[in-house]
Amino acid sequence: MAGTSSAQEMLDQQMIAQIGRRDQSAFSALYDRLSGPLYSLAMKMLGDPAEAQDALQDVFLQIWSRAATYHPEQSSVFSWTVLLTRSRVIDRLRARGRRSRVVVASTEDTAAGVTDASTVESAADTVEKNDEAARVRHVLNNLPSEQREAIELAFFEHLSHHEIAARLGQPLGTVKARIRRGLLKLRERLSNL
Amino acid sequence: MISEEQQDQAALYVLGLLEPHEAAAFEFELNANAELRDIAREFREAAAAMALTAPPRTPPASLKQRIMREIATKREERTVVPLPRAPFGWVPWAIAAALAVFCGLLAIDRVRLERQLADVRAADPLMQTTFYTLAPSAPAPADAKATVAWQPGRQSGVIRISNLPSPQPGKDYQLWAVDAEHKDPISAGVVRVDKNGVAQIRFKPVEKAEHVKAFAISLEREGGVPKKEGPILLVGSA
Repeated sequence: MAGTSSAQEMLDQQMIAQIGRRDQSAFSALYDRLSGPLYSLAMKMLGDPAEAQDALQDVFLQIWSRAATYHPEQSSVFSWTVLLTRSRVIDRLRARGRRSRVVVASTEDTAAGVTDASTVESAADTVEKNDEAARVRHVLNNLPSEQREAIELAFFEHLSHHEIAARLGQPLGTVKARIRRGLLKLRERLSNL
Repeated sequence: MISEEQQDQAALYVLGLLEPHEAAAFEFELNANAELRDIAREFREAAAAMALTAPPRTPPASLKQRIMREIATKREERTVVPLPRAPFGWVPWAIAAALAVFCGLLAIDRVRLERQLADVRAADPLMQTTFYTLAPSAPAPADAKATVAWQPGRQSGVIRISNLPSPQPGKDYQLWAVDAEHKDPISAGVVRVDKNGVAQIRFKPVEKAEHVKAFAISLEREGGVPKKEGPILLVGSA
């Protein structure tokens, strides 16, 4: 996770190794650690609590069955689970042809007015996570707006670079360059956190 | 040194925005380029951090219970559950014995079917053949294509290429097998097209390739190279 200490990453990898050996307590601990951000991502992309919960269930069952195939050299545990979640959500969006219902929330979104069974995290029990999220949000908000916009459209809406180019009225090469430069800046600034 | 174009591809790859044939070509490059793997990993971490900008939400507690029940069920399916004692305690044993006999019959039947299948496979090499369609990747012409028929059991295959113009003097096309258990692509030899841009060649990789994910053709120095150096022109998975 951005800003995650190497000690936390070691713990995450240890949990994944234990889950690979069918350790339910390690699975429970990993769920407690990651379900919040993964559910938040699913909610942002799907905009529907029931679907987001189904997607999260798919993701964690996949983590349970595929933990032994996790490759630490390819990504951190956090990134692995985020990209699994995004992939499951995209499958759902494709299957139901519901791209139009994607919630295009800006990074300034708030979760006010939520009435489903899920809850907005309380400040008290998520200070650490929210601090980290705030740092990432700060970094993202300080990217040039055209780079931020291109990355957000690609990541949260899963628009292709062709679709992003059409939506922004920019040449394809410009969109590719914006995504690349944005990720390079994000990478550089996150590593300095 | 990673070019801007490679960085563009890496960024689009981690965001899942490449077309399947572009992703296959990029994975081929990743296999052969440690520096590119590093940047892809860093882009993956940066992209994943985007998830933290979603408004924070907590799933309901009932979801965790549902998931924990589900994985507990999966565990139980893997363990033997003892039958409870009952007044008619012999009934479960009788059922078990009947099931055992039934399973035995099924096992005999399965062995017979497997033998028949093995005979059919031995008689028909196509049943052991996997086909790979290779699509062009810049700078190859857009209509260039190739098909590989690969027989893992024999460790050999046939490639048919069309619409690929002859390379410039001093260069050759080289075929590579991307195998899951090898860090670098395995050379399957130089392939030469005729004046019409066509070739049909039988090949055999220089090392054993039991888990081939993709085949690719690159442009290399004349006579071929032990490790891929030049650009990929055609690539494809099964």
